[in-house]
Amino acid sequence: MNTKTTNWTRLLWLIAGVGFLVGLYGLYDRIVAGHAHAAYGSYVPWGLWVAAYTMLVGVSAGAFATAAVIYVRQRAPWYNVARTALLVALAALAGGMLSVLLDLGHPERFWRLFLSTNFTSIMGLMNWFYTAYGIILIVMLWYAWTNPHHASLRYLSFLAVPFAIMFSGAEGALFGVVGARPLWESGLTPILFLTEAALAGVAAVTVGAFLFDQLDDHKAGVLGRTLIALLAVLALFEWAEYSTGLYAGVPAKVEAMRTILFGPYWWVFWFIHLGLGIVAPLALLALGSINRITASIAGTFVVIAAIASKLNLIIPALAHAEIEGLEHAFTGPGLTFDYFPTLPEWMLFIWIVSLALLIFLGGNIMLPRIQKEVK
Amino acid sequence: MAKTEENTTLAPDTTRRRLLQTLVGVAGVATVAAAGPVKKATEATTISLDTIPVDAPVVTSDGKVDPLERMRADLARALQKPVSERRWVMVIDLRKCVGCSACTISCVAENHLPPGVVYRPVVEEEIGTFPNVTKRFLPRPCMQCDNPPCVPVCPVNATWKREDGIVTIDYDKCIGCRYCITACPYNARTFDKGLTYNDDVSETNTIALVGPANAEAYEMAATHEYGENRPRKEGRSPIGNARKCHFCLHRLEKGMLPACTTTCIGRATYFGDANDPDSLVSELIASPNVMRLKEELGTEPKVYYLQ
Repeated sequence: MNTKTTNWTRLLWLIAGVGFLVGLYGLYDRIVAGHAHAAYGSYVPWGLWVAAYTMLVGVSAGAFATAAVIYVRQRAPWYNVARTALLVALAALAGGMLSVLLDLGHPERFWRLFLSTNFTSIMGLMNWFYTAYGIILIVMLWYAWTNPHHASLRYLSFLAVPFAIMFSGAEGALFGVVGARPLWESGLTPILFLTEAALAGVAAVTVGAFLFDQLDDHKAGVLGRTLIALLAVLALFEWAEYSTGLYAGVPAKVEAMRTILFGPYWWVFWFIHLGLGIVAPLALLALGSINRITASIAGTFVVIAAIASKLNLIIPALAHAEIEGLEHAFTGPGLTFDYFPTLPEWMLFIWIVSLALLIFLGGNIMLPRIQKEVK
Repeated sequence: MAKTEENTTLAPDTTRRRLLQTLVGVAGVATVAAAGPVKKATEATTISLDTIPVDAPVVTSDGKVDPLERMRADLARALQKPVSERRWVMVIDLRKCVGCSACTISCVAENHLPPGVVYRPVVEEEIGTFPNVTKRFLPRPCMQCDNPPCVPVCPVNATWKREDGIVTIDYDKCIGCRYCITACPYNARTFDKGLTYNDDVSETNTIALVGPANAEAYEMAATHEYGENRPRKEGRSPIGNARKCHFCLHRLEKGMLPACTTTCIGRATYFGDANDPDSLVSELIASPNVMRLKEELGTEPKVYYLQ
């Protein structure tokens, strides 16, 4: 059922293939030059790759939760969409993990995360969450393709729904617990991550289902209305965060918010995040009729803009000196509070996203073959 | 401060005798340094702690004990105690700091810091408006917090607070995730991206003065942080790690004060054991004009400022 190839699928293969090849330059540069050519450094230690990691992991958790809800509610007509959702979750998880792995100063020491975990660190805990999540995801994917009516799939899904909520909430808590960064340190940060994960996940599933020709107007309607609800909730939470933050006037937080709203990259917030990521899909879905085309376009907008909200969370919080005048005290590469990704950073980002797309598209070809062999 | 100066004043005859001893001592060291090869100087750094004069503070011409000598004696006393009974603190007198950045440079030299890594920048602050303008200089080492926010966030237990209060990093355990850098409210941790000063520098410029081979040798020379010997090699720690000031732990263990303290031309930086009531730093942190940065965060820094 999932193997149907549409023109859109062919186009995505082409985009992912070109992106993969072009992006190889970024991978080559990362391997040969390490972090030397990256724009992040000592004062802005995280950049595009960490934003990509949080975005992709969010997409994964959201898509996973979508599949789990379908299996919990035993909606058999939706099982093909659920399979696509699990495939989206796997591809996005692989991309996210690769992005954060390559961001490490010593990726070859990743095993230390397992053998000497610090359980007071959210990042240390997340490592085990990812492992458990990856295992549950692969088991569910197996059942989804081999025997979607198996009771185990439903039981696993009961476990998966709260797990997805905990998982993406903890991803937000990784930032929310950092008291040194007033923009991050908020009880709303994990909730925002949760909402964004659900939104990006449902959007990616909508686009994936459209690509594999699984989306009729009824399903598009359900997914489209879900997107409207999630977009409205996200807009509400963001309004709450920005309005109270600006009104309260805590200087460090206000400064970071002003950077987002009116700083050198103001267009990322207004045009990409707010315009493309919230207003355009909301207008498309709420003002017109929801069908497979409008739902897919809205989903595409949300997925493309998903990186913007993560960049807006990570970079502006780091782009301000914690001690005024520090940027002039001692200068050098990486001792600056300005950040814009370099060409190798963009290239590696393109390579990772393309690889995730290839896993998604390739999985849709490979898994039905496995399914046949099992049967 | 006035109290400290009173306490360090000695009788005139003692002053003259000690001054003479000092001059003889300095002359002797200078003679040895001039006569001996570089290897001799290296050997001299491995002196036994017994040779450090615990009870013989050097006095200056105005009859006061040189704070540097007093701190050396304080240090020697502290080193005789178990590690768990020491509590290293740094005190920086902002009224004495002239912003020369000698501490910054000595720290860079001592720890072989590459581009993009700095442990002790000196922040300049302009106060007032013309014509009533002054400048204040604020050296910012690692605060060695008693409640360090960088420690609990490390996912692999690669950073911790020692019994003597110094927050250290195990370069071989650190995976370079940089979560600790984001968690530090003082921007005191930096990331070693693996850069060298010779990157993108043509041989016709400064390298020509020393020669490319010598420049390369200097860049790749080992850092001795944490008492280890780590030549700079691509892909090897500390490249790819978070790095920070450690109060020159490797020097302390040899009975030497931190490089920034020794090289401070205005004697604005003090170092010692706050658990020793007779130490200079214990007196200084009891001053009414003492302050710490961002006290409201509850990090309990062990770097104190006098203002």
